[in-house]
Amino acid sequence: MENKFKFLVKMSFLRKIKNKSFIIGNIIVLIIIALLVNIDSVVSFFGGDFNDNYEIRVVDNANYYDDIKKDLSSINNSLDKEIKINKTDKKVKEEEKNLKSTKDILLVIDKDETNVFTAKVISYSYIDNLDYEYILGALNKSKVRIAVNELNLSDEDVNKLSSNVNTKRVILDNNSKGEEKSKTLLSFLSLVVVLPCFMLIIFLVQMIGAEINEEKQTRSMEIIIGNVSVKTHFFSKVVASNLFILLQGFLLLLYSFIGLLIRKAVTGSINITNSVNSSLNIADVTSIFKDINLIDKLSYIIPLILILLVLSFLAYSLLAGILASMTTNMENFSQLQTPLVVINLIGYYLVILSSLFPGAFFIKVMSCIPLISISLAPSLLISGEISVNLIIVAILLLMLLDYLLVKYGLRIYKAGILNYSENNLWKKMFKAAKER
Amino acid sequence: MLSVKNVTKYYGDKRAVNNISFDVKEGEIFGLLGVNGAGKTTTFRMIMNLLEPTSGKITFNNKKIDYDITDKIGFLTEERSLLTKLTVKEQIIYYGTLKSISKDIILKRLDELLERFNISEYKDVKINTLSKGNQQKIQFISAIINEPKLLILDEPFSGLDPINIELFKSVILDLQKKKTAIIFSSHRMDHVEMLCEKLLILVKGETVLEGSLKKIKDDFKVKKISIKADVSKKELESIKGVNKVYKDNDSFTLYIDDIKYSKNVFDYIKKKDNVSKYEVSPLSLEEIFISKVGTFYGK
Repeated sequence: MENKFKFLVKMSFLRKIKNKSFIIGNIIVLIIIALLVNIDSVVSFFGGDFNDNYEIRVVDNANYYDDIKKDLSSINNSLDKEIKINKTDKKVKEEEKNLKSTKDILLVIDKDETNVFTAKVISYSYIDNLDYEYILGALNKSKVRIAVNELNLSDEDVNKLSSNVNTKRVILDNNSKGEEKSKTLLSFLSLVVVLPCFMLIIFLVQMIGAEINEEKQTRSMEIIIGNVSVKTHFFSKVVASNLFILLQGFLLLLYSFIGLLIRKAVTGSINITNSVNSSLNIADVTSIFKDINLIDKLSYIIPLILILLVLSFLAYSLLAGILASMTTNMENFSQLQTPLVVINLIGYYLVILSSLFPGAFFIKVMSCIPLISISLAPSLLISGEISVNLIIVAILLLMLLDYLLVKYGLRIYKAGILNYSENNLWKKMFKAAKER
Repeated sequence: MLSVKNVTKYYGDKRAVNNISFDVKEGEIFGLLGVNGAGKTTTFRMIMNLLEPTSGKITFNNKKIDYDITDKIGFLTEERSLLTKLTVKEQIIYYGTLKSISKDIILKRLDELLERFNISEYKDVKINTLSKGNQQKIQFISAIINEPKLLILDEPFSGLDPINIELFKSVILDLQKKKTAIIFSSHRMDHVEMLCEKLLILVKGETVLEGSLKKIKDDFKVKKISIKADVSKKELESIKGVNKVYKDNDSFTLYIDDIKYSKNVFDYIKKKDNVSKYEVSPLSLEEIFISKVGTFYGK
């Protein structure tokens, strides 16, 4: 004879994963993740271009090409791009036609009696501001050197005049030294840790809601509750939904891995820097991980984050179960689950804000608040924004919330699952919570 | 077997059931009747241990009802309590396992019952693709898969055609022969009259009538006389003791306040020509029900 609790967990879990919407949904997610990881190849396949490299063609009417080329070449190192610089003998009009649908730049240099030379920077579409600033800087540098040379100064004097000022950046506040690293790290974590957590919480809340609502609407709840205790039923739903998101989380990781395998097969590399924004530059993030000695800290960071995740998922599932028990249909539940989704969303936005305002006191306080801490605390702990003490406070508050949800929520659940009337609903539920 | 003693249930300030008592013995079919909102569902929920009575006691074989006892009870709810996305087999395994029956036994009994209800071909079919009647059969099977000692049937014939109603009746009578105690609730009084030996009528949570069907009928003073003769409605209404007269084609139905007035009617009718029918009978359960419940509602 099968244990009824185990059986209910198994049934809930199997019902969910055998559901067509789960299977179809996961196929779609797999395709989306694989496409996102390989977005550059996809865009290229449809004729798009992810290549940032371009050519600067110089129409030199002043005979300063060699000087200008020397300074323009330094842009390559500064912008981390491969920019070709070539002189052209073609006419400007003709070159302008060649610019169509390219990122190339046409630089027209004309002699000027008072300003050494003038330059016209021509491109087909808008040039990135940073690129434009570097080109301008290089041209100014060339202009100074040409002017100085024309004054017949020695090479040493020319160097003194044209070289950059030797500057050293000193930041007295030790905390702000890591701000740049922290920003990069938090941007990275918000994408690879917080976003999946956000999605999993939504899945969790919806699974519990859908199951309890279905059992209520079909009145099968009366048969089930007639044969197992309310407590057994409630916790079977909580355990089944948490097992489900564990599986879903694993599947998301698997899909990312499949996406990377496809990338490796297509491009020969798994570096996704070109694919998504620069915050996902694996090399930068890895170097930051090394700088903050993350490996040494993992022995306590991983257990703390795992405890926080388990307690948070438990709190969300308990709350979702309690809310679902009070509703009579899915529409009702959609309305009642909105606060949970909003709280989850607040956590997600706070992570994004935390990368913009590193060290903000408000964000540190919010990282201790139950239900929000799941999004904020792990990222802030990894990036060193909050201390271990603060995450322990977050865990303790979550334990308190879970205890209260079990103690009072179970009473509401018991009254709610057999209630089919919306009259005085909240009054009835508060009354149930007070009853022993 | 089942004993409900002085049970009262309040929802907040609202009283749903007031001091009801009844017993159901082995092999007995007990009718629990009442209009919507009379307190039947609350009573069933208390028997199933879904609700705690505010006062009073419900026992099964002198034991307080717990989950070991509900394993021995079958419950067919008025509304379909099936998870319609499951197949018939999955659904019955689900409910059967919750009744602490092993999977092998569930499957063996399921095959037998599907055959009995002539729906063997639907074993692996999803419930939401079945007709209303076939869904009701599945619900009935799920209620008796544990071979219950006590079976609660709330509107079991809902959505069934006359042939399947007969099929259900035969299964219910077979269960009765196997000593299953059955509580039967229906708005169809002819069904109750046909199956139940004892009954209780609830109105707004109060017991208004209870006992054996025969005794209830006998004790109910109002009687009915059917007459076919050359007589007018007005003449019949003037006879002492006649309460109401209804004419239907060439026959009349008279209601008298007491059996003693039947002699007055007989003495009057025997003088008339072409008397082809004179029959005194007790009221049907439906008429008694309407009379009792109607009185309560001031009709």
